[in-house]
Amino acid sequence: MRPKAPRTAMTSFALGMGLLILVIQVYLFETVLGSVLDGHRALLGGAFIASLTLTIVALVMAFRIRGMDSGPRGKDEP
Amino acid sequence: MAKWRKAFPVDLADESFISRREFARFLGLVSAGFTAGIGYLWLRKKPLDGAPGPKGIPESAVDLGPADALKPGQSRLFTYRDKDDRCILLRTAEGELKAYRQTCTHLGCAVRFNGGQLECPCHNGFFECGHGFPVQGPPTRPLSGIALNVRPDGTLWAVGDLPKPGEGKEA
Repeated sequence: MRPKAPRTAMTSFALGMGLLILVIQVYLFETVLGSVLDGHRALLGGAFIASLTLTIVALVMAFRIRGMDSGPRGKDEP
Repeated sequence: MAKWRKAFPVDLADESFISRREFARFLGLVSAGFTAGIGYLWLRKKPLDGAPGPKGIPESAVDLGPADALKPGQSRLFTYRDKDDRCILLRTAEGELKAYRQTCTHLGCAVRFNGGQLECPCHNGFFECGHGFPVQGPPTRPLSGIALNVRPDGTLWAVGDLPKPGEGKEA
């Protein structure tokens, strides 16, 4: 029987992924803003879809992942 | 107990505590903010300050007066697309007429002509007059140029946006 991975490992991964998504979003926004100022508007649609996808992933992880807090429990966790 | 403490009964220990869940939600919220920002840029029809207008749409010409009104090293201001689209017309030391948007490509301050270069007084950024390239200071992108045309009657007209230097190479 395989030992179960500790739950905190998954939640740390989720938190790290959230941070990574935020870094990507900052880079994406900075790139998009520079491109718009240079007159390249064609990439805005693709950038918006990419950004929306990242945000949905971040929000799903933030609200749906169980056992996010390995230490003291959050206010809304059972 | 102080009145304000009764009104806001939150322990100091709780005030400083942020759970992982709350932090992750904060990250999600900030991410949503960036998405909203990109969506706003996408839906916005009017170009940002300093950005060239949408391609394919003919731009109206603006009369800038007699072409020989400026002497080398002189400049004057005008507006192009609307009253907020401030631009600067200048005559270089070599006698060439050039026009650029006044918006600095660093943080949007108004640039001015010092007789030899365009300078942004906010953070000491400098642009050369020939093509608007940044030559000193924090700006990294060239100024947005305005195309000029001298008509047979000797009047000078602003007739559109110049392509950004290097734009033609991408096609």
